[in-house]
Amino acid sequence: MIKFINVAKTYPNGVEALKNVNLEIKDGEFVAIIGLSGAGKSTLLRLINKMIESTGGQIFIDDVEVSSLTGVKLRMLRRNIGMIFQSFNLVKRTSVYNNVLAGRVAYHSTFKTIFGLFPKEDKLIALEAIETLGILDKAFIRADQLSGGQQQRVALARALAQKPKIILADEPVASLDPITTIYVMDDFKRINRDFGITVVANMHHVDLALKYATRIIGIKAGEIVYDGPADKVSDDMLVHIYGRSLKSDELLGDIDEAI
Amino acid sequence: MTLLEKKLKQKPKIWILNLIIFVAVIVLVGISFNGAQINWTRLEMAGYTLREMARQMTDINWEFLIGFGSYRFTEGISFLAIETLAIGFLGTLIGAILALPFGFLASKNISGKIGSRIGETLLVIIRVFPEIILGLILIKGFGMNAFTGVLVIGLHSIGMIGKLFAEMIDNMDRSPIEALDAVGASLLQKIRFAVLPQVAADFSSVALYRLDINVRSATILGVVGAGGLGTLITLAGQNANWNVLGMIMITIVITVILVDIVSAKLREKLL
Amino acid sequence: MKQFNLPSGAVIKKPFNKIWIVLGTLLVLVLFFSLFIFSRRPFFNLSVLGEILVKMFTPRQYQNWGDYFGYMLTLRGPLVETLSMAFGGTIIGSIIAIPVAVLSAKNITKIKWIRIPVRTFLNLYRTIPVMLLAILAVYLVGIGVLPGLMAITGFSFGIMAKMLFEIIETVDMSPYEALESTGATKTQAFVRAILPQVFPVYISYLIYIFEINVRASAIFGYFGAGGLGTVIVESAGQYYERVGATVILMLGVVLIIQFISNYARGKLQ
Repeated sequence: MIKFINVAKTYPNGVEALKNVNLEIKDGEFVAIIGLSGAGKSTLLRLINKMIESTGGQIFIDDVEVSSLTGVKLRMLRRNIGMIFQSFNLVKRTSVYNNVLAGRVAYHSTFKTIFGLFPKEDKLIALEAIETLGILDKAFIRADQLSGGQQQRVALARALAQKPKIILADEPVASLDPITTIYVMDDFKRINRDFGITVVANMHHVDLALKYATRIIGIKAGEIVYDGPADKVSDDMLVHIYGRSLKSDELLGDIDEAI
Repeated sequence: MTLLEKKLKQKPKIWILNLIIFVAVIVLVGISFNGAQINWTRLEMAGYTLREMARQMTDINWEFLIGFGSYRFTEGISFLAIETLAIGFLGTLIGAILALPFGFLASKNISGKIGSRIGETLLVIIRVFPEIILGLILIKGFGMNAFTGVLVIGLHSIGMIGKLFAEMIDNMDRSPIEALDAVGASLLQKIRFAVLPQVAADFSSVALYRLDINVRSATILGVVGAGGLGTLITLAGQNANWNVLGMIMITIVITVILVDIVSAKLREKLL
Repeated sequence: MKQFNLPSGAVIKKPFNKIWIVLGTLLVLVLFFSLFIFSRRPFFNLSVLGEILVKMFTPRQYQNWGDYFGYMLTLRGPLVETLSMAFGGTIIGSIIAIPVAVLSAKNITKIKWIRIPVRTFLNLYRTIPVMLLAILAVYLVGIGVLPGLMAITGFSFGIMAKMLFEIIETVDMSPYEALESTGATKTQAFVRAILPQVFPVYISYLIYIFEINVRASAIFGYFGAGGLGTVIVESAGQYYERVGATVILMLGVVLIIQFISNYARGKLQ
C-alpha cells in the first residue's frame, strides 16, 4: 500500500512541483495519473521509489517511511518496485536476456553479480518473465534489434523479474505507435490482473488512461484535483484538470477500432 | 569607369595574400635548408650507397632469419619479431587496463569539472612524453630488455587510451543507469550492468587501434635497447651491414602489415 | 549451448557466450608472449631510476631559476633545427604527395595498372616507422639536420598521399566533368574544379602532420639526425638536469604547437 501524507516537493530553484499531496493506493489497483506536462506527474511518481526526495510530508510504502531509507535498505525497497520509462532505458548493445536478468541484481551480493554468477533460479525467473511478455523467441537477440514495442516489453520483463509488488510507469507508451500502444497497455493490464501487482502510471493520452485504469488521479499545478474511479471522470472534470479542452495529441483516438 | 570595371576593382585582393603566404613559405623552407647545412658530397654518395644497400638487402640469410644452424633461435630475426609483437601486445594490454581508472578520473560525468581537469592534464602529460626518452630513463631502472619495452609502451598507452575512454564515458547513454538505480543496484552493479556493456565494444576497438600503433613503436624502441627488432638496427647500421638491415626492414614491414590486417578485421567485427 | 526448461513446458537454448573465447585467447597470448619477455631476466634497480628522475626534474646543479632558464635559452639553436626540420619536411613531402595522390585516386586515374601498384606501394611504404626512416637517412648521408629533413619529408609524403587520395575520391566530380566538356585539359580541370574543393582539407591535414612531425623530429637527434635530440644524447649519462630541461622544453613546445594546431584546424572547418 502506498500512502502519501501532506507531501510537498520544492526544487532548489524555487519551483513548487507538488504541494499538499495526500493519497492512498491499495494493493492491486491500476492507477493512472493525468495532467498537463509539468503539472507534477513525474515528480509524484519518482517520489514513490525515492528517485527524488520530498521536501515535506511523509511517504509510506507498506508502513515503511520512504524518506528515511538509505543505502542497502533503500535498494531493498527499490528491488520490490519496478519502473518503466518512456525511452525504455535498456542497455541497447546487450541481449534481451541480459537486460532482464539485470533486474535481479539487488537480490544478490555485489561480488557475485559482478562476475555474472546468478543462481539458476534467477536465470529461470528472467526467462519466465520474458516468456510472460511473449518474446521468448527473442531472448538472446540484441535489444536494439527489436522494435519499440518489443523493447518496452523487455523493460516490462525486467520489472517483472524483480517480482515486484508495485510497478511505476512514466509515460510508458508515449513513444509507441497506436497499435503497439494497445498491445503494451494490454500487457500492463494483464500483469496487474494475473500477478496482483499495483500499477501506477503517468499517462499522456487521456482516453487511454480512462480505458485501462480503474482509478484516475488528476494533477494540476502540483495539487491533486481529482482522485476517483475512471468511469466517474466527466468531460468538465477533464477541462478542469487541463485548464482547457483536450488537444488532439492528448487523445489516442480510435482505440476501439485499433483493438 | 563602367559599373563592371568598378566592381572588378572592388573584388577582394586575395591574390596578394596568397603571394605573401607563398613567399613566406619559400623563405621558411629556405631557412630550414640552410639550417640543415647539407653536405652535398655526401648526398651524391647516397646514390651509390642506395644501390649498394638495395643489392645487399635482397640477399636473404635464411639461417639468420629464422634462427637455426649457425644461429640459436634466440638470436634469429624471427625471435626478435615475436619479441616485438610481445612488447606491443603486453604493453597495450597493461596500458588498456591501467587506462580504466585514469579514464574514470578524467571523465566529467564521474569526477566533475575539477577532477576531470586534473585527470585530463595527467593524461596529456603522459601522452606527450616521448616514448624514446621514457625508454632511456626506464632502461636505467629495469635493464636493456624487452620488459622495459613493455613498461614504456604500457605507460604511454595509458595516456592515449585513457583520453578516448574518458570521452566514451562522457558520451554514453545514461538511461540504463537510471533504470538500474530504480531496480536497486549498487554502484558497482550499475557499472557492471549499465556502463560496461555500452563501452566494452568501443573500448576494445580503441585498444586494437592502439595495438597497431604500439607494435610500430616497439620496433623502434629497441634502438635504445628496449628489446625487439630495433636492437639489431644500431649494430647493423654502424657496421654498414645492409644485409642485416634489409632483412630487419622487411621483417618490420611484414610484422606491421600483419598486425594492421588483424587489427582492422577485428575492429570491423566489433562494429 | 545451455538448455533451460521452463515450468510452462517451453524449452529454450542459450547460445554460448563469446566472451569466454575472447578471454581465453587473451590468456593464451599473454602466457605465450610473457615467455618471450621474461627469457631475458630483467633487473629491478628502482633506486637508480628514482635518482635519475629526481636529477632530471629538480636541478640542484643550477643555483637558481635564472641559471636554469638561461640554460633553456641556449637550447634555442637545436629547437630551431627541430622546428625547421619538421616544417620544411612537412611542406616538401606534402607537395610531392600531390601527384602520387592523384595517381591513386579512383576517380581520376581510371587505369587500373597504374593506380593499383601505386596504392600498394603507398600501403607498404606507410608501414615504415618514421624513426626508422631517420635512422636509415643517417646511414645514408651522415649525421646532421639533413637526414632528419629527409625522414620527415619521406614520412609526410606517405601520410599526406593517403589522406589526400581519400579526400579526392570523395570529391564532387560534376564541375570537373563540366570543365572537361568545355575543352579544358585534364590538368586545367583538376586545378579549377577539384583543387578548390580539396584545398581547405589539405591545409588542415598539413597542420596536423606538422604537429606530429614536431614530436618526431624532437627525438631525431638521438639517432644523429639533428634538433633537440642531440642535446639528450650528449647529456645522458652525466648531465641529467640538462636532459630534464630539454624534455620539459620539448613538452612545452609540443603542447603549444598542439594548441595552435587545434585552433587553426578548428577555424578551417
